[in-house]
Amino acid sequence: MSPAWGEEAQPSNQSQSHSTVLNRPWLVILGAVVLLPVFVRHAIATEIWIFAIFGLGLNLLMGYTGLLSFGQATFFGSAAYVAGYLLKHHGVNVFVALLIGIVVGAVSAAVVGYLCVQRSGLYFIMLTFALNQMFYFTAYQWTSVTGGEDGMPGIPRPPMLGLDVRAPLAYYTVVAALFVLSLWVMKRVVESPLGKILQCIRENEPRAAALGYDAARMKLVAFVVGGAFSGLAGVLYAMLFGIVPLEAIGFVFSGNVVFATLIGGSGSLYGPVIGSFVFIWLSESVSAMWARWPLLLGLAFVIVVLFFRGGVVEAWARFWAWRATRGRRAPSAGADATH
Amino acid sequence: MPLIRTERLTKSFGALTAVNEVTLEIEGGSLHSVIGPNGAGKTTFFNLLTGQFAPTSGRIIFDGRDIAGMPTHAVAHLGIARSFQRTSVFPALSLLDNVWLSAFARRPSWRGLAWRRADRYSELTARALRVLGEVGLREKAGQPAREISHGEQRQLELAIALAASPRLLLLDEPAAGLSPDETQKMVALVKTLKGRYTIVLIEHKIDVVMTMSDRISVMHFGSVIAEGTPAEIQRNAEVRRAYLGGIAAP
Repeated sequence: MSPAWGEEAQPSNQSQSHSTVLNRPWLVILGAVVLLPVFVRHAIATEIWIFAIFGLGLNLLMGYTGLLSFGQATFFGSAAYVAGYLLKHHGVNVFVALLIGIVVGAVSAAVVGYLCVQRSGLYFIMLTFALNQMFYFTAYQWTSVTGGEDGMPGIPRPPMLGLDVRAPLAYYTVVAALFVLSLWVMKRVVESPLGKILQCIRENEPRAAALGYDAARMKLVAFVVGGAFSGLAGVLYAMLFGIVPLEAIGFVFSGNVVFATLIGGSGSLYGPVIGSFVFIWLSESVSAMWARWPLLLGLAFVIVVLFFRGGVVEAWARFWAWRATRGRRAPSAGADATH
Repeated sequence: MPLIRTERLTKSFGALTAVNEVTLEIEGGSLHSVIGPNGAGKTTFFNLLTGQFAPTSGRIIFDGRDIAGMPTHAVAHLGIARSFQRTSVFPALSLLDNVWLSAFARRPSWRGLAWRRADRYSELTARALRVLGEVGLREKAGQPAREISHGEQRQLELAIALAASPRLLLLDEPAAGLSPDETQKMVALVKTLKGRYTIVLIEHKIDVVMTMSDRISVMHFGSVIAEGTPAEIQRNAEVRRAYLGGIAAP
């Protein structure tokens, strides 16, 4: 059976909003893409969109299919290592590197997913975690290639279409464009029949099977698509910092993306984007001022789990619903007072 | 030739034989009821037909093909649809999506699976809405299934099965837990399906079964103890014993 998070999540199309802002999420996203580098350090702004792409991939599994994968760093890290290695030692074209990252993400997700979808619930989660650990220790031991604990430094950021993208703002523009593209692709996927099928598997797997859907196969598809997104994010991450740190394939990284997605709101298309913003901004900005910043993160997590299972997206929708009912009540209360 | 027949179909759970050498033939276009006391093995029999369980032994011949042991999703693609005794819908999804998903699954081709927008399959949406109309839920199409009443969920349960355009429709107590009023509506609904589908019906309300069925099989302790027209079943002494508290195992 699906873990509890999926059951609580609201499908994105359900919360018909009361605000004009929520009705035009694309405007908000594009506005954020343009304004973010004005207010936030370019590297952090870039990392936010990279992490958002990572979150989009996880959300297809966690939010839409109800599969809590605690091993997404497997696909992120594998892609970062493979593409990073090719960029560093073979000087491959940057688009080839991105494509290879996507393929590595998808293929590693196919292998891991194939094993994991054989089980459900707690066993599923533990399998994703255990396989993540296997990849982690492989990277840890294979120092000749991955650099082990020191990571794989010296990853270049080659020009794209003849344009130099070494400047932070130039690279930000590339990443932001790829993020918008990823978001659009994910929107198409969740609005397609596949998106509905994954949701019905989350809601009631035996019934989905009785309708004619091979649940294991569909879950595997979700893994592969999610893995492709993770892979893209992994390569962009390697090129952003010029290094693949060992943590990029570690379980903390897997946990972080789950955290971020839950805080933003799993099961809605834009949840992981908001979650990524909150998570990266907190970790990069507040951590500079206050070493105990994870406390804040923990607090945010507790609030989400206790009061807003749908994350920031649900809190936002509830706020507008509350304002709408208050707005409706206020004039009638005034009318009563005059009588 | 019967649309589906079972040959000595058996399912054991350890020492318990839930379904015991059941041999049965269902004629195409007929309404065939399966009755029997609680625990007689009726639902297990359905679970065998739809692939939820693999039989311990025996064969299931559907349209000339042995389907015993096939996985559930593959059985569904052959055109065998069922409704569940305990309501089994997709709570967070709209009624339209609940039914739409059933219709989509039966498409011969899944082209556009991950890319074409689901609301662009206009012929499927139209069919889903028509089926919802047939069970009287057309106005609630946009509501999530968890928000409608139990009675309406039973109707939705039936609509999901119908949207698959089944060649064989297995109805497991469609009126379970309904008020007398709702039961009447459900019975009227099932009557409209008679003749249009090949139906196997599990039902406890004997009067309903007697008036609607073409043939009736009676199960008791996992075995079919009698089979015949409603009139024949009514006269059968063994059936009376089974129902009137006798412990007559065959």
